[in-house]
Amino acid sequence: MREFLLRIEPVIWLLFGQGLLIGTMLLTGWILIVGIAVPLGLVAPEALAFDRVQVLASNVLGRLVLAALVVLPLWKGAHHMRHLSIDFRGAERDVVVAPVVYSIAAIGSLAGILAVVRL
Amino acid sequence: MAGPSHPHAMAPSRPGKTRTAPPQMPASWWSHPRIRTYLLFDATGIVYLLLGLVALRVVWAIGSGPDVWDATMASLKSPVYVAFHVLGLAAVIFVGVRFFRFFPKSQPPRIGPAKPPPQPVILALLYVAWIGLTLLFAAILAGGIF
Repeated sequence: MREFLLRIEPVIWLLFGQGLLIGTMLLTGWILIVGIAVPLGLVAPEALAFDRVQVLASNVLGRLVLAALVVLPLWKGAHHMRHLSIDFRGAERDVVVAPVVYSIAAIGSLAGILAVVRL
Repeated sequence: MAGPSHPHAMAPSRPGKTRTAPPQMPASWWSHPRIRTYLLFDATGIVYLLLGLVALRVVWAIGSGPDVWDATMASLKSPVYVAFHVLGLAAVIFVGVRFFRFFPKSQPPRIGPAKPPPQPVILALLYVAWIGLTLLFAAILAGGIF
């Protein structure tokens, strides 16, 4: 397992790095509007009415942006959680922690891709 | 073409004479501001994973039709979700400020024939992209454009 984790490290790091870079850039506007402004009524809820959202999300660019928004933060999160575990004297349990967090990110990524495909 | 390199290819064939302790965090980590900030940066991973899962729920709801979508939007009004998103915004801004400060320093001196621009220029470009993309994405989501 340790050898396998080392072998997939470049791929994990690519997704982790893009989670930091693109994930952070996309999440800022997303959280501001979808997570805070609309729920608190600062922005009219019609902005996120189903018909408008459906049109915005279902074109090619919309699908790509939403897929990136779901997938990349998952890998940033999984990789950082693994390293948080290692830092707290977790080198031994890493053979369990790493597969668990990466599996969550992988299953979430597949679900995220399916979510934009079925739009 | 050579096969994939062995992950331990760079390790010495036998341990060196100098004794080295395995790297580990000091027990007094909480009294070191730099370690605390480093761990806080790692800990934002928990928030990012949850943000990704919430985004998955929201995007999934679009494909499930108007009723599910309206129910999902209504659930985002719960104080727990709003508080989580405020925490998420703080985490994202913290990660952006810290990571973009490191990003220029991590660039190789050359990328093929090209030389990356000076570090302050890279940093400025990252901020322009971050703020620009945030304004654009927020304006689209809030109904300002399109």
